[in-house]
Amino acid sequence: MTSHFLILTVFAALASGAFAMLMREGRAAQVRFGVFVFLCFVVSAFVLGWLMLPFPS
Amino acid sequence: MQERESISTTRVSAPTMAICVAAWLIPGLGHFMLRRQWRGLLFMVIVATMFVLGIHMDGELFRLDGSRPLTFLAGLAEMGVGLLYFLARLLQFGAGDVKAVTYEYGYTFCIVAGLLNMLIVLDAYDIATGRKE
Repeated sequence: MTSHFLILTVFAALASGAFAMLMREGRAAQVRFGVFVFLCFVVSAFVLGWLMLPFPS
Repeated sequence: MQERESISTTRVSAPTMAICVAAWLIPGLGHFMLRRQWRGLLFMVIVATMFVLGIHMDGELFRLDGSRPLTFLAGLAEMGVGLLYFLARLLQFGAGDVKAVTYEYGYTFCIVAGLLNMLIVLDAYDIATGRKE
């Protein structure tokens, strides 16, 4: 597993699942919060990636 | 203030302590003991998957080295996984390969798995003491 995006997605899915179960009660609220946290992980990674693009590695 | 004092002086009962220790040793077991089987099963799958993936990606299981504070903290966080950490060490997994592309991802997965399990232990504690339903 060397795809950065795949690793990011797997990490986001696992972490958001745990956070949703810990921080919300009820199946519907957990699913909503889990999807929200997952999207936050992925979108923020993309935004940070684009912001870091001008900087030399 | 009065509430805070009453919380700080509350003694943890033996069953609650047993639930916390079980929850630490085997992720999700505390919730199983509290009859939250579905939640316990998901916690078990999430933490174990994250830890195993971390090892698979050449992540390192850090030792508690007092001379290197960050390594010490990373090792402490990884120990949060419980028996899986000690089992992996016993079977000589988690040596870590710094040349591997996924080395940093690997140990991050292992550290986060341990930290998540610590949160899960706290959740089991809250349920056992009636702070959370």
